[in-house]
Amino acid sequence: MQKIKDAFKRFYKQPAFTGFILFMIVLILNLIFEPPAKFFSLNYLNSLFVSNTPFLLVTLGQGILMLAGLLDCSIGMQVALVNVISIMTVQEWGIPIWMGWILAILGAIAASALIGALESAVGLPSFLCSYAMTTVIKGVNVLIMPIEQGKVPKAVYKVYHNPLGGIFPTAAIIFFAVLILLYLISRTKFWKHVYAVGGNRQNAYAAGINAVGTQMKASILKGVVVGIAGICLTLMSASGNPIQCEEYGMRSLAACIMGGMGWGGWGSIGCATFGGWFYVLISNFVYYLFTWLAKIIPGFKVSSYYNNLAADVIVFLGLLVTVITNKRQRKSLKQGINETLKQLSKEEEKEDK
Amino acid sequence: MIEMRNINKRFDAVVALQDAGLTIRDGEIMALLGSNGSGKSTLIKILAGVYGANSGEILMDGKKVTINSGFDSKNLGIATAFQEMSLIPTMSVIDNMLLGKEPTKGPGFVDHSQAKAEVQALLDRFHIVCDLDDYVNTLMPSTQYLLELAKAIATKPKVLLLDEVTAALHADEVDTAFQILRELKAEGVGMVYVTHRMKEIYEICDRATIMRNGQTITEAPVSELSLNDVVYYMTGARIDQNVGSAVSEEYNTEGAELMFEAKDVRLFPRIKDISMKVYKGEIVGIGGLEGQGQSEFIRSVLGSYHFEEGTVMYDGKTVSFKNPSEAVNADIGFVSGDRSRESIFKDRTISENLFAGRAVRGALFAFLSSKMVDKFSAEAVEKYKIRIGSLAHAAKSLSGGNQQKLAVARWIASQPKLLLLDDPTKGIDVHSRQEIHEILKGCAAEGMTIIVTSSDTDELISLADRVYIFYDGRVSGEFAGQAKNNENISAAMMGITSGKEEA
Repeated sequence: MQKIKDAFKRFYKQPAFTGFILFMIVLILNLIFEPPAKFFSLNYLNSLFVSNTPFLLVTLGQGILMLAGLLDCSIGMQVALVNVISIMTVQEWGIPIWMGWILAILGAIAASALIGALESAVGLPSFLCSYAMTTVIKGVNVLIMPIEQGKVPKAVYKVYHNPLGGIFPTAAIIFFAVLILLYLISRTKFWKHVYAVGGNRQNAYAAGINAVGTQMKASILKGVVVGIAGICLTLMSASGNPIQCEEYGMRSLAACIMGGMGWGGWGSIGCATFGGWFYVLISNFVYYLFTWLAKIIPGFKVSSYYNNLAADVIVFLGLLVTVITNKRQRKSLKQGINETLKQLSKEEEKEDK
Repeated sequence: MIEMRNINKRFDAVVALQDAGLTIRDGEIMALLGSNGSGKSTLIKILAGVYGANSGEILMDGKKVTINSGFDSKNLGIATAFQEMSLIPTMSVIDNMLLGKEPTKGPGFVDHSQAKAEVQALLDRFHIVCDLDDYVNTLMPSTQYLLELAKAIATKPKVLLLDEVTAALHADEVDTAFQILRELKAEGVGMVYVTHRMKEIYEICDRATIMRNGQTITEAPVSELSLNDVVYYMTGARIDQNVGSAVSEEYNTEGAELMFEAKDVRLFPRIKDISMKVYKGEIVGIGGLEGQGQSEFIRSVLGSYHFEEGTVMYDGKTVSFKNPSEAVNADIGFVSGDRSRESIFKDRTISENLFAGRAVRGALFAFLSSKMVDKFSAEAVEKYKIRIGSLAHAAKSLSGGNQQKLAVARWIASQPKLLLLDDPTKGIDVHSRQEIHEILKGCAAEGMTIIVTSSDTDELISLADRVYIFYDGRVSGEFAGQAKNNENISAAMMGITSGKEEA
């Protein structure tokens, strides 16, 4: 019992705690409309993972960057880049699919490394630099693939769309594989350096850490994750579209913040995971809510535009709550420290007398 | 052992060090003393690789070495524990302590059990009580500082540079820290200890190096130096034995109108108990070493911070301003020494900068013609002799000294009853400083009341009618007339009153 209590206490102190709470709330909201027996059924989970794994992976990638003190708004366009390269290389050059995938992932790594270098080594402001790169990458995408086209053989995309061996969703396996990979990396020296550089670049440098090198490595790691996300997207849509997923950039940032991350050095991969899922489940919930409203209110019919609006309003409220609670936490902490200090100095004064 | 010889260092035109030297022997604690701006911080920062020297040589065990960066310094076995924290606040204690030298096993994985054992041993030695997984930004400042010290010692340095170690610590923590310093001494580590607390020098240091105006004045065993000697070497004059005996008799306050009075004000943690009186038309100086509560005091009067206890009387009324805007509307002006942050709008024109103080008053949407602004500014420029090209030029086109005159003129032109200045001549040339002094003296003669803090003793002496010295959040001396001299002020700055140090 004590152990569970301690574990909870430790978890309560973790930055991922707020993200976890938000995630639980929205999960419960989902379960109101979809009873657990249905929600946790293989088919349901499978479709949830199939359509959302690309975004969830992108959020993990964004999380890596944020920990290292960088960010990338063009991350969504890079997903489209992977999509475009993987389709076009196979279609135009006739190379095997797996080779096209590797080239596509390398493309994502190259784009990530370029942006990482501009932000880290050259020192351009992250937000503006990556925002500008969104347009650049979009241009490259359209150059490679002028209009929506291409397809993936059914035998290949079926593997992604169906549970592996009829037991476990393939998309979920990919998601958890990336998560495990990141967990392993999180136990390395490199990961400590990521936190240090993100938290305070100068001090990290003074501790003998190569700040630019660490941020570049983090960028490349994010490129790999984005590459995998892009392959998942290609398998999900089974076609190519050069200008999709742009909104992933801002959404993944919002998801990370809601998961409890700060700008640089604060948070964990857990934050990105919970934040990403919160975003996914909120859209799900709003969809259910509107369908239900349409059922009980005769004549109630709204376009999907309102679905998005409602979801985004909730996300905004989620952001507000996260930011305010974080501020409160810090403030009460500071007050607590000040009170203790006062107590101590009073005691010292008494002793002196 | 390390020897620094003939070190010269200039910051632009300011000479910080002139043929300064320092010798650190193995197993010895060297106190490095000097008043504000004597160059002691610069000297140890050169050793730490923060600054590079313009000329001079550093010998280690008799061999010449070059220190160009923090890395070089570390590689030579020099560790530092400065007040500017090197910890990363968003990381846990354990990660911070081992940052850059994590024990690993396998392909780069951090060996968690060994890391834990290493750090726990270190914390135990320092009697630091905290969870290894606590984030550093949730710990008390004193704990953070002990961690900083522990981290420096964990590198097993040959030489340890300590800057004001005890300023952030509580009494029992100081004992622990000193105990460890003694252990290190026995292990043969050489240390440099910069401090303002005389008591500690006698308690822990073996020898002392005293600096004045960028030069090394003397080096001697602590046992051979009396407090009186220390002050003598720091200021060049002996302590007057009547130090601290309140205001000298000749200062006459009879008939003067009391303009400002602070009574037992406190603001945790910097201001512990301060009372002062300021009369109409008087220039009162506030002196002291850095961080003794001067700027907090000025800003609390202004309403930027708020006193927790005590009362402030201004112009016949008890006041407590909620924010600086209220204070300005009650005819108080404020000039900060930090031009870039708190006074000059560097990209706006000179006339706008001058008018800024005036603009706070009156209705928000009152009509304001550029002619009016220019006329006001042209008068101010002429009156206060600010050398400018044109009123329409950006403020950043001016030299630092003229920018500061701009800030002073801005407030004086709006004729406040009380003008507060926080180290207004920091880092500006002698000539501008002289002119600012003349402007202020002129205003005081016309009845303006002025409170000015300064880190420069000479400035306090030449500018102020009366001087209060702050030490550790309290007034440690009040001087006027003949008693307002370099020796008395320097002694009070070190917390020495009546030739003895305050406990």
